[in-house]
Amino acid sequence: MHIPTRWIKILKDIWSNRSRSLLVIFSIAIGVASVGMITNAGLMVQRDLYGSFAEGNPASLEIYISPFQQDLTSAVEAMREVEDVQARRVERASVLNGEGDWDDLTLIAFPDLTELEVNQLNLVEGRMSLGVREIALEKQSAEGLGLAVGDTFTVKMDDDRTYDLDVVGIVHDLYGMPYALLGEVTGYLNLDSLKWMGKPSYYNKLDVVVAENKFDQEHVLGVGNSIRDRVIEPSGHKVGSMGVPGLGSDPGKHWAEDQIDGFLLILQIMGVMAVLLSGGLVVNTVSATLVQQIKQIGIMRSIGAVRGQLIAMYFFNVLAYSVLGLAVALPLGLLGSWWLAEFAAGFVNFDLTTVNISWQVLTLQITLGLLMPLGVAIYPILSGTRMSVYDAIYQYGIGSEGSGWLDRVLMNVRNLAPPIVLSLRNTFRNKARLVFTLLTLTLAGAMFIAVFSTRASLTVQIENVARYVAFDAALGLPYGSRKQTVEREALRIPEISAAEGWAQSIGVIVREDGSESGELEIVGLPYDAATIDPLMIEGRWLEASDTSKIVVNDDLLDEESGIGIGSEIRLKIGNRERTYQIVGVTSKHLSGSRIYMEYGSFGQLTNRPNQVDTIRVRGNLETFGSNVEQDVIAFQLENRFENANLSKSSSITRHAIFGDFTDVFDLILVVLMVMAGLLALVGGLGLTGTLGINVLERTREIGVLRAVGASNVSVRQVIVIEGVVVGLISWVLGALLSGPSGRALAGAVINAVMQADLSYTYSFTGLLLWLVVVGFIAVFSSLAPARSAVRLTVREVLDYE
Amino acid sequence: MEIAKISDTNGRENGTLIKVKDLVKVYPTAANGVEALKGVNLEVHEGEFLAIFGKSGAGKSTLINMITGIDSPDSGEVQIGGVSIHSMGDDELTRWRGRNLGVVYQFFQLLPTLTLAENITLVMDFCDTYPLAKRSDRALQLLDQVGIREHAYKVPSKISGGQQQRVAIARALANDPDVIVADEPIGNLDSQTADDIYDLFSDLVSLGKTLVIVTHDREIAERASRILEISDGRIISGRSNDAPSNERSTGEAAPSPNLVPPRIRAAI
Ligand SMILES: Nc1ncnc2c1ncn2[C@@H]1O[C@H](COP(=O)(O)OP(=O)(O)OP(=O)(O)O)[C@@H](O)[C@H]1O
Ligand SMILES: [Mg+2]
Repeated sequence: MHIPTRWIKILKDIWSNRSRSLLVIFSIAIGVASVGMITNAGLMVQRDLYGSFAEGNPASLEIYISPFQQDLTSAVEAMREVEDVQARRVERASVLNGEGDWDDLTLIAFPDLTELEVNQLNLVEGRMSLGVREIALEKQSAEGLGLAVGDTFTVKMDDDRTYDLDVVGIVHDLYGMPYALLGEVTGYLNLDSLKWMGKPSYYNKLDVVVAENKFDQEHVLGVGNSIRDRVIEPSGHKVGSMGVPGLGSDPGKHWAEDQIDGFLLILQIMGVMAVLLSGGLVVNTVSATLVQQIKQIGIMRSIGAVRGQLIAMYFFNVLAYSVLGLAVALPLGLLGSWWLAEFAAGFVNFDLTTVNISWQVLTLQITLGLLMPLGVAIYPILSGTRMSVYDAIYQYGIGSEGSGWLDRVLMNVRNLAPPIVLSLRNTFRNKARLVFTLLTLTLAGAMFIAVFSTRASLTVQIENVARYVAFDAALGLPYGSRKQTVEREALRIPEISAAEGWAQSIGVIVREDGSESGELEIVGLPYDAATIDPLMIEGRWLEASDTSKIVVNDDLLDEESGIGIGSEIRLKIGNRERTYQIVGVTSKHLSGSRIYMEYGSFGQLTNRPNQVDTIRVRGNLETFGSNVEQDVIAFQLENRFENANLSKSSSITRHAIFGDFTDVFDLILVVLMVMAGLLALVGGLGLTGTLGINVLERTREIGVLRAVGASNVSVRQVIVIEGVVVGLISWVLGALLSGPSGRALAGAVINAVMQADLSYTYSFTGLLLWLVVVGFIAVFSSLAPARSAVRLTVREVLDYE
Repeated sequence: MEIAKISDTNGRENGTLIKVKDLVKVYPTAANGVEALKGVNLEVHEGEFLAIFGKSGAGKSTLINMITGIDSPDSGEVQIGGVSIHSMGDDELTRWRGRNLGVVYQFFQLLPTLTLAENITLVMDFCDTYPLAKRSDRALQLLDQVGIREHAYKVPSKISGGQQQRVAIARALANDPDVIVADEPIGNLDSQTADDIYDLFSDLVSLGKTLVIVTHDREIAERASRILEISDGRIISGRSNDAPSNERSTGEAAPSPNLVPPRIRAAI
């Protein structure tokens, strides 16, 4: 095969500069691969999660109702606005895990597991047609418990009796929050089994798919209201709560779709940044190649190469980098997307059907991988080939010492050791190159610190939420109880020093025009409650005299427009209505819309004076108990209340709530850290490349240094100090940039995964850690160039021309 | 862009191939500027072997760079084959030079990553002169002509300076130009090697090429068919070593030493 010699020249140049070329190729590859990884993972999630989610006929609305039978289901199904409806029974219990402890369990009973209309389950193993004393497990729960088809499943009901069921099937439920996220086991059975376990046979929840405008929140809630007003309430049932399933997502969308999409978008931006960062090295390498080849360019022009041919040659050079970079990036991106999609699959519980790369992702990667390097190389190539043949061959006007103020300052530095002075002068000799290297490292650093700030902000955010969970343990009282009885009972436990009963109910706001808001939680509590430490963002907390004054959370203000401090709002619980004035707004705390009012006035609104629904206790008012102390308190609380016939529910501890919570965020941070690591890697490659170029350009100088007797150590020192100087400057710049970049990233992440506003905390740990990392990068990046500087022989030094 | 070969045009007058008229070159410097050429006139005939001799700093390289069009004069003109080369645009001049002039430098100036053969095919590639498939054969043939065919697939750093200069000459011949211009082609070589290179040049002349070399070495200059001496930016004397009786002063038009066009002679 005959290849025109000019292309051969470029290919041979690339080969003869292997290490430099490899740096550029890997740098491009990492950038392009990370974009590919994220985009492709996004598409696989879309296909496998959202796709199979939609296939199972997802509910647009879920309604918890007082006990009902199938006839109610039929009546709802008969409504014109309703397309499909499915009744289920949700029952809380406990299950014996492998370690002999009891885990939280949600038992779900369907009329027939094989004929679900809504939120259909997929069979993984075994069978779905269940008999009495048979149970099917959600696959993540089965995995978590280590149970398989044929095993025995031991359930403890709230009457403390235990029952053994046979595991006959493993199913996949895309519609519930998975075990990995909640740490709660989910099992499916039929009503007969529940009956066998001593439970009455009824349903308590309807999953509804509306007939039209499935994705329109307003419409869906409207349909919900008609179902309640026209069918449920007229038939003598009561609606407990009603809403769109999910974590604030739109009806018919996967419960975590907003979170996943938001998070992928953030990752995507970081991926694109990695691509841009690799551009810094491309610019530096291409410029250096052109400077180094000026004489060759002159020769080529003198033997007949027109400028266009030279431009084409150097673009071909960049193209070769791109193509080789892509060759590495495509498989790497595919592997990365596999990892990320598997990660997401484990996290939100879906199956990755196939790992493939779609043509959209390929196109995106190829476009980015080709356009970015070619784009950033335009300027260096055009300006590098612009010289006249004479100047190029005789090298006039090149390599002259800088004469800016910085150079003058550096020429006058006298008090430092000679290698340091030399390093400093070298660092600032080629300013454009320095700028690009700094840009790369600075951005990498800013993102790195930003990830840590995101972590710190999440921690603070969680601490803020924790202020609303200021108890050691809490216990639900499903049937309500007298406040005094409950509190007295709790205080009989010696470890408990404070106990308070809270009342809760679901209500709505009746607007001026008579329409009703979505459902919100109304809490009645002592004005001086010890188990809450609200963070007021406006106004004040409740006071003793506040009979018609309330405090709302910021979530409510987001939900309901037109209200704020001082507004009068009309609240309705059941069929009782009263008007209250808002005197304070608390921060968001992941509870959804909530209203706090003094316990007494709550009793008047609900007409349940003296009744409470939860007991919240503390062992010590100064500090929270350790995990073990909390567990002890919780255990005693459960026992005592059970013995006193007040509640058979299981209690919850503060550490249990926050343990699961922080686990989830840690996983998210892992992904962010991987991205930050990739950015740091691109930055490190950029610095290595630049220092290598610097060494090569100073071959002659290094030769002189060695000729005047500089030891290997001091030659190496000059290079390493140069790397460290660049690293330190980038650290300072990165530190400056990390403030705003951290705020942006933390805001985006918290908004994506928590749907909450940001309380931003800058991470000084991140700042210091990046100093260490950038120090390592600087030293490591300069080691190879320093070694090659030492290795230069006199002959090579003389040959360099 | 179609570039004609000199030998295909009728631009010669009386066998004069290169005509340099009143050439002035001033290099700008921090002080007043260095006047490197102070009005140089000369003519080179077809098939002639001209040596321009002068001391260091006399302006030899400057003059050569004007003739190759690598640098441009402040005033005056260079005509080659009837074309005023400095009136051409940059790309046009480059193409023209690529096809019509072979340039040999003192420091060989081969491209370091290419093999010797590739250094030669590169020239044909840039000017698109021979079919792609034939270029390698031609390169080998040229290397054979300069006597280092066996090293064809080595890179320049693996052969000696004299061998590199042979490759540079072979490269200058790649597009079969009518004129070869060389700046101190022998200055850097030992005397035996210099002799060999000189013989190569003589062979080229006998093949009908027109040769212009500059040198600071009088002995080398003596072996050319004509010598011009340059000093301080001016041609100060000229002499012919050839048999034909042309005792003419510098700048005079002279009849061509050979009436057969070089192309045809080369083909014989
Ligand atoms: N680019 C330049 N800028 C300034 N002065 C120059 C430049 N190039 C050459 N000169 C000066 O012009 C004069 C002629 O230089 P030139 O290189 O032509 O001499 P030369 O005869 O080739 O010498 P040598 O034998 O040393 O190569 C000299 O005085 C030289 O210093
Ligand atoms: Mg010279």
